[in-house]
Amino acid sequence: MKINTSIFLAIVGVAALTSCGRDKRSTGKVYMPDMAISRAYETYAPLDSNKFTTDANAWHSADGDVKIFYNSLPVSGTVSRSNDTKYNYPLAFDKAGDTANYYASRFVKNPVTSLTKEELEETERKYLVKCGICHGAKLDGNGPLWKDGDGPYPAAPKNLMTLEMADGTMFHSMTYGRNLMGSYASQLTPKQRWEIIYYIRVKQGKVNQDAPAPTEPVADSTATVAAAH
Amino acid sequence: MNKRYSSKNLLITLLTLVICAFTQVHAQDGKALFNANCASCHKIDDDLTGPALRGMRERWGDDKLLHLWIKNWSAAVATGSEYAKKMSESRPAVMNTFGSLTDEQISAIIDYVETAPAKKAPEAGGSNAGAPVEKDDNNLLFAIITLTMAVLAIVMLTVNGSLRRLQEAKDGVPSKPILAIYKNKTYIGIFAVLCLVLFGFFLSKGAVDLGRQKGYMPEQPIFYSHKVHAGINQINCLYCHGGAEEGKHANIPSVNICMNCHMAINEYKGEQLYTAEGKEVNGTAEIQKLYAAAGFTHGQAWDPSKAKPIEWVKIHSLPDHVYFNHSQHVVAGKVQCQTCHGEIQKMDEVEQFADLSMGWCVNCHRTTKVQFYDSATGAGNKFYSIYEKFHEDLKSGKLDSVTVETIGGTDCQKCHY
Repeated sequence: MKINTSIFLAIVGVAALTSCGRDKRSTGKVYMPDMAISRAYETYAPLDSNKFTTDANAWHSADGDVKIFYNSLPVSGTVSRSNDTKYNYPLAFDKAGDTANYYASRFVKNPVTSLTKEELEETERKYLVKCGICHGAKLDGNGPLWKDGDGPYPAAPKNLMTLEMADGTMFHSMTYGRNLMGSYASQLTPKQRWEIIYYIRVKQGKVNQDAPAPTEPVADSTATVAAAH
Repeated sequence: MNKRYSSKNLLITLLTLVICAFTQVHAQDGKALFNANCASCHKIDDDLTGPALRGMRERWGDDKLLHLWIKNWSAAVATGSEYAKKMSESRPAVMNTFGSLTDEQISAIIDYVETAPAKKAPEAGGSNAGAPVEKDDNNLLFAIITLTMAVLAIVMLTVNGSLRRLQEAKDGVPSKPILAIYKNKTYIGIFAVLCLVLFGFFLSKGAVDLGRQKGYMPEQPIFYSHKVHAGINQINCLYCHGGAEEGKHANIPSVNICMNCHMAINEYKGEQLYTAEGKEVNGTAEIQKLYAAAGFTHGQAWDPSKAKPIEWVKIHSLPDHVYFNHSQHVVAGKVQCQTCHGEIQKMDEVEQFADLSMGWCVNCHRTTKVQFYDSATGAGNKFYSIYEKFHEDLKSGKLDSVTVETIGGTDCQKCHY
């Protein structure tokens, strides 16, 4: 009888151990988490609001509490070491209803005037990753998101092969967004944006040609236009 | 009489056919012209950058004025028309001018817009063809087969024993007394060893898995399907996770990157989506959650300063004491995303594919070949040019390949420092 009981217990034990399936929605258990979880601040780690503040003026409260100010942004005025000022763009984003800077952008010249074969290949790769999804691998405005109107994107992207737009205006649109196109300032550096514009010109067969004549009316052409001349 | 009548009939039919064919061509031209000139800013039944177009002929009332507006809207305003003035002030974006379109082309576009079939709403809960299929789990089958075989073996052994006993009785040899299975020491011994092995296996497996998260699939704040984005719509991984080739983190895209496309795409029309539990997901409602985070209202201009970050749940975690850099693997190593993250383009909900254990890292470092720069083909990369001796050995045929381990990829301080 004793043996009987122990056999029964063993079966139950093994069954209990094997039946514990992994719950996909939980992280599971961890042994000694202080070895695994960083004490230093890591990207995307939540900040303890008792110790940190994102308000630069509230780090020292009236009742003597001192908090650490941290908002994960670079100190204002910081310049990236890889940033070459020759790629800088002088015009700001237009205020609502104003198109003066958009109009003036056509006078900004592309600082990229030549690319080596390797640089051009790298730029093509960048174009295919960031732009091709809408404007198409052939630059014909027929990317996988549009597919002649069958794709999920409801608006036809511009056909870059036939696009008559000045280099600076392209840069303005890529930097600040235009109509339905969003800003690519967070995804492409100024250098990469100019290089892509150069790549489009190479594909169009119009490298370093003069800007085309204006095709759009100007809503507000104030002093900015004169300044850009 | 009859003949004449029929020939007249034929003539009418022919004429009708010709007219029909002509209008058909006309409408198709209209579609092509609409897609080429208008579709960047206008939809037929919905507001985009510009207003919805259906019914414009009726709203304008005057075809000539409408044509003038399309060719050059400021000229239409200059005629003193109230409606043109109202339209010119209705939206922040300024309409392009289309002086190159002829009156016939504009008529074709308008005809197409007015007669185009309205897009059907997606059928709710239609076919269940896309429902998730239970994965084939053979474990239960194997368990049943093993158990049957074990029972069969015991029965055979018992039969064998009985037969032997019969033979022994016939021969007059005294036989051992019959014992019940649970009293037979051989069976008990085998069973005990089995239990010990099983217990040991599960105990050590459980201990090793402590702190590992292979298969972890948390519920995210928005049902974002990588299958829809990276699989069906072919968006490159690096479009959103551009950090993977720039630095340590692959980066979770900020809301503005979602809005690059979703400023325009405000409804989901693809196949029915399901959660891992098999619950139906309303794709359009999930896009609304993005709009709530972005502070965006469809049909209005978006002010990015109103956006709040979405609190995605982090899936892959490495311990603090190990250093991992994405760009090193993606750019220098030319490792595909899927090597470590699995077939992301087929996952509706992302789960952790690799256990991210040290053994897993080291195994890959031992077997992966370094892609040295080949000046003849231009393949590989120049990152490893300092390993001159290996380059020479490869050229002379002394080595046929160099693995990551050979260049120090399994040294402790490569990842732990």
